[in-house]
Amino acid sequence: MNQKHIAQAIIDSRARLVEKTKGLPVLPLRTEAEEGGCGVTGFACNIPVGGRHIFEPSVQMHNRGNGKGGGIAAVGLEAGKLGVDQNTLESHFLLQIALLDPTVLKELEDRFVRPFFKIPHEDFVPTVDDFRDIPGLDIEPPQVKRYFVQVQPDVLAKFQLEKNLGKLSLEKAAEEFVYQNTFRLNETYYSSLGEKKAFVLSHGRNMMILKIVGYAEKVAQYYQLDDFKAHIWIAHQRYPTKGRVWHPGGAHPFIGLDEALVHNGDFANYYSVSEYLYQRNVVPLFLTDTEVSVQVFDLLNRVYGYPLEYIIESLAPTTEMDFDKLSVEKQRIYRQIQTTQIHGSPDGPWFFIIARNLTGEKTYQLIGITDTAMLRPQVFALQKGEVEIGLICSEKQAIDATLQSLAREDPRFGTIADRYWNARGGSYTDGGAFIFSVKESDSGNWNLTCQDKFGRPIDIPADRTPLDFSLELKTFPLKATTAQKIRKGLESGKIISLYSSLLGSIEKWDYAQLNNFLDHLIALAKEEKLMEGVVETLTLLLDRRYPTGTKRRRSVLQMVTRSLEKIFNGIPSLTQEKGTPFLRIDYAHRLMLRAPEAGEKTLVVDGEQFPPEGEDCDSRLVVKAYELGWKRFIGYGYRGQRFLGCGLGPDTKGVRIDAYGSSGDYLASGIDGLEIVVHGNAQDQLGQILKSGKLVVHGDVGQTFLYGAKGGEVYVLGNAAGRPLINAVGRPKVVINGTALDFLAESFMAGDPHNGGGFVIVNGLAVDNQGNIIPQETPYPGANLFSLASGGAIYIRDPHQKIVAEQLNGGEIVPFSEKDWQLILPYLKENERLFGISIEDHLLTVDGQKFPPSQVFRTVQPAKQTVLAGGLDEWE
Amino acid sequence: MRYILRQCSVLQCSPLSSGLARLVSGLFTVPSQLMAFYEGIMFDVSQFIPPEVKPAPTRFRHGLSKFRIVIGKNCDNCGLCLNLCPFGVYQPGAKRPKAGKDFLCLGPACQKNEFYCIARCPKDAITMNPNPSFEVLGDRRWTADLLASTWYMAETGEIPYQGLNYKTGDSGGGFDKLRLVFPPNKALDCPDEDICLSLDLNRTGDERPSISLPIPFYLGGMSFGSVSINAILSRVRAAAAWGTFCCTGEGGYPDDLKPYDDHIITQVATGLFGVREETIQRVRIVEFKYAQGAKPGLGGHLLGDKVTTEVARMREAVVGSSLFSPFPFHSVYSVEDHKKHIDWIKATNPRALVSVKVSTPNDVDMVAVGSYFAGAHILQLDGSYGGTGAAPDIAKKNIAMPLEYAVPKVHKFLKEEGIRDNLTLIASGGIRTGYDVAKIIALGANGVCLGTADMVALECLRCHNCESGRGCARGIATTDPELTQLITQDWGTQRIINVYAAWMKQLRFILKRLGITHIRDLVGRWDCLAHLDYIKAEEIEGELE
Repeated sequence: MNQKHIAQAIIDSRARLVEKTKGLPVLPLRTEAEEGGCGVTGFACNIPVGGRHIFEPSVQMHNRGNGKGGGIAAVGLEAGKLGVDQNTLESHFLLQIALLDPTVLKELEDRFVRPFFKIPHEDFVPTVDDFRDIPGLDIEPPQVKRYFVQVQPDVLAKFQLEKNLGKLSLEKAAEEFVYQNTFRLNETYYSSLGEKKAFVLSHGRNMMILKIVGYAEKVAQYYQLDDFKAHIWIAHQRYPTKGRVWHPGGAHPFIGLDEALVHNGDFANYYSVSEYLYQRNVVPLFLTDTEVSVQVFDLLNRVYGYPLEYIIESLAPTTEMDFDKLSVEKQRIYRQIQTTQIHGSPDGPWFFIIARNLTGEKTYQLIGITDTAMLRPQVFALQKGEVEIGLICSEKQAIDATLQSLAREDPRFGTIADRYWNARGGSYTDGGAFIFSVKESDSGNWNLTCQDKFGRPIDIPADRTPLDFSLELKTFPLKATTAQKIRKGLESGKIISLYSSLLGSIEKWDYAQLNNFLDHLIALAKEEKLMEGVVETLTLLLDRRYPTGTKRRRSVLQMVTRSLEKIFNGIPSLTQEKGTPFLRIDYAHRLMLRAPEAGEKTLVVDGEQFPPEGEDCDSRLVVKAYELGWKRFIGYGYRGQRFLGCGLGPDTKGVRIDAYGSSGDYLASGIDGLEIVVHGNAQDQLGQILKSGKLVVHGDVGQTFLYGAKGGEVYVLGNAAGRPLINAVGRPKVVINGTALDFLAESFMAGDPHNGGGFVIVNGLAVDNQGNIIPQETPYPGANLFSLASGGAIYIRDPHQKIVAEQLNGGEIVPFSEKDWQLILPYLKENERLFGISIEDHLLTVDGQKFPPSQVFRTVQPAKQTVLAGGLDEWE
Repeated sequence: MRYILRQCSVLQCSPLSSGLARLVSGLFTVPSQLMAFYEGIMFDVSQFIPPEVKPAPTRFRHGLSKFRIVIGKNCDNCGLCLNLCPFGVYQPGAKRPKAGKDFLCLGPACQKNEFYCIARCPKDAITMNPNPSFEVLGDRRWTADLLASTWYMAETGEIPYQGLNYKTGDSGGGFDKLRLVFPPNKALDCPDEDICLSLDLNRTGDERPSISLPIPFYLGGMSFGSVSINAILSRVRAAAAWGTFCCTGEGGYPDDLKPYDDHIITQVATGLFGVREETIQRVRIVEFKYAQGAKPGLGGHLLGDKVTTEVARMREAVVGSSLFSPFPFHSVYSVEDHKKHIDWIKATNPRALVSVKVSTPNDVDMVAVGSYFAGAHILQLDGSYGGTGAAPDIAKKNIAMPLEYAVPKVHKFLKEEGIRDNLTLIASGGIRTGYDVAKIIALGANGVCLGTADMVALECLRCHNCESGRGCARGIATTDPELTQLITQDWGTQRIINVYAAWMKQLRFILKRLGITHIRDLVGRWDCLAHLDYIKAEEIEGELE
């Protein structure tokens, strides 16, 4: 049967469904409440894990919601817990109805459930006895009735006959019946009423949704899902701007059929998308843009039968140079998709996480899709090993929180993922979407795979085994010669040489040997004079990329991180001790902060318990400590705490802050003189309006990095996400060793780089799995580089001349001069010192051969723009 | 320069030479004692002493008048008119008197007076005609009458008597069709001082300072670059004298403003030009500019010609190259980003209040609620009537909701949400008179924010050429060093002080007629208003203003 006819039949069959609404001005001009933001999170795992683990990332992203709506979805459930057998779970629709007014239950069942379905099992979803036992839950969540249903054969036959759906297979017809029945139920008990009475939460197979008015993690608590296991969990913290919300109808996730979608963002074209759907007999009932998102997805998926790649293309079209880079065949198809579906394509900032069950394929999928302009924050992560997990989140710190939560319960999980990355929206490189699939193999094992939009796999080489942290590692004394070497190295203060001399051993060691070495260092740290050196050594092991032999890098990092935390936790509290160079303070003792006394040098802040923002946050503590005279700070245990380094005011030269753990957004914004070093990946909005000082990031940075920056020296080991250095002015000097997703240095206005102005060096490098530094496929994949810039320059390492004029909108490529080289050389030397990226071996060596700088680097400078220049030139 | 001359010849006046300007400037200074007081940290509103009104005459030889008085050849210089005219229109002359200040003339309305000079002139030498320049002055929103009356108020601090319509313009809608309705028998008979016009800015109940203004408005952002440093300082000093605030706009924080830190709102706008941690920490209020009502969705722009060396230095940008502020904030695409943004500023300055300036899209009510929950103290709704010449006409006239729709909509929605009392709602965009202030407060705002009215006080002509070339024939919207000298700070300061003094009189008059003693009791009093498109004058109970 031709898909075209099936699609038309389904659409036609819905005509009467929406008849009531036809001819009336029903299409809402706007959503019921603005919600723009929100925190979204999801993970897919090859083993089922408890709902408690969606708790951590949800708590971590409280500040992305306002407690007025939270929801979770689970896919790939445990039959036993639901009171059915595996076969029923997989073959039956799991209908969950939220009863806002429980008195309608009987009538509702008589009208929409009992007459149509075989119901082998039904039950109320268990809850805690009294919602007030859960702190922070102000509104009682709805009672939820759960039914496992199959459409009765005679009902289905009649449906097919009446709706002219004889073309559909029985299964497809049953799906459509469930869909339409739900629509009518929602219409009757929800959208047509002033007082809402009931609505369907979910009706897909082997999946369910629950939502409440409150923070998402309260869902898990209230509905007792802590130990309820599933392969995929997604959660959403809602931020509706409407103040009074009494029921969770508008909370995410929303359903198509077998999929649940959560959304972070806000469409500009809600009306247009609604109209597109209306023309296809789909009407929104809940008036949120999330609902229409999943309606579009369901339409493209189930009605039109698009493969996932084309669905993603419909939602986030490939544009500009990215389109040109596609193969001719893809261009042909994509152009047709765009022509047909553009009106249903959400415009504006959005990021979707979708969890779905591919019935019949024994596959559960977790999908993350970003909009073409990448306007919402998004991080993907993958961890492979005996247990495998893929994660998608608004913030990296929430991913780490999930992993920590899982690792506490099952040490086979590591606390650090093998890989973290951002998607490049609507791109030819990854399509801005990644799909984690959990699939049962023929042998009955469950595997997790990850692919991008185009089906290209993202994988972690299996040849390096991760450490199972539940195992007891053998302990034995370190070899005397090694111990001696370490002590000598630490005493000499030449930590970098010590580090280099250890690399060979570290590569050869097994986990037990490495563990012994780390334990040895921890012991040495107890000696006051060696402490700093030990911390420095461990920090190098954390920051640098080096061969790890048969060991998995993430496990090594986990061990090093653990060792550092042990050392930091062992530092005496500033309330107890006096006169030692390192003193520690934590949240509980924050009010006991005092000025440094003689011999006290470094304040170590245990960041874990601090709130992420507000008067009590750790960034405020650092400001107060600075005002009291502290100059040197180490912060650790961070879980997304924001604004570190902000608020110290002007002229803070001589202050240094080292941040370990998952530091948060806006770090180093506005700094004027101080130095701040991030050990690991950083998050979004770093270094806004940064004026002077130094920022070093031993990893990637997130969105809108250095927005409106005025100066400073900035070094990034990895990549920057979208829109770095937008509207930067003055004299920022920035080295990015990776690349940026897009829109680098738009409206850059940093004067003349040879006359005190600013510039960005882009090296376009990456680190492979062996710890080798290698060039990326292209030094800059984005279609917009240096757009509308009027000052400054970009020096880009591009030996194969991959940057083309089409990427520039207002810039021009000119030869890289000796003067340019002399200008950037000092920064490359510092870059080499910080990250070990060698000027000779890595930057100037191309395919094993050394070249002069002028053949390796290229200069992008502003072209004189008549649109920018004034009519008078006398100012020059 | 040719351009300036053309402008001037049309209006038949010529700028003073800079020497003369200096001379004029010496005449008007705010007493230093008083300034010291104004610069104090906290105000007790009840203790507030309003600044002194002093004459601040026009900089130009001939003030623009509605009527032209011409003394004919048959005058015998008897001097009778000089003695008759109580307004001082005439000055003595060698051959005959000069009608040098005909803008003070009452016009034909004077006929009924026994001192009507035209009738009394023994030689029939005096004629009065409408001034053709006056007829081409202004526009529908800022009519010639409104401009002339504002200039008069700036000179004298008094409400005009000359028969100028100083209450409404001629736009055919909005404020110009709204009328205050004075109920019968409610008027208060009390001294002006008993009517309180103060405005509290922090209503959230958080731990940040409460700031109260003795008057129900502050001055909106105009950046260094868009207007001259003298224009900025005039506004800032007038704001300080009135115990209120003036916003920097998005052009940095010139050092000259430092003495007035306690009266400055620094703006964090989408280009982040000139925003530094120390400027955020220096002030008591930080304003986020998301959009302007005059050009929502268009960001900001300063064209190349105005980016002089000094402007470029302040913004750390490139001389002569146009500067664009993007729309929106690149770091803010949602309400939770917005909260994070506010949290950042709050972390940087733990004592500052946060104001959020937005335009008026049709979901402005949602924006308001979102801003409140994100932690804003003040929400400024910038309607579509405002904006100077630099905003493109297509934007000014076609986007954003009129302010008189947006304000009640937001007021009502906040009330329904139960948070109206916790947020200070400031209206801006097209507030021209004390009457407009009263109307928008009655519609639901707590106070207003002003911009163009200050410019008019500085003798802006509304010629709409702010963006072009080096700017302004009147030396206001310019960064040209020479044109800047057309205004002196002391003169400008006094002009703005005077206008506000007159507005205070208007507001107190209005409140007394309404029977209200505190302006906060006017907030949301829709019953005090009538819209002439929807109700006939005869159906209104009470007296129309």
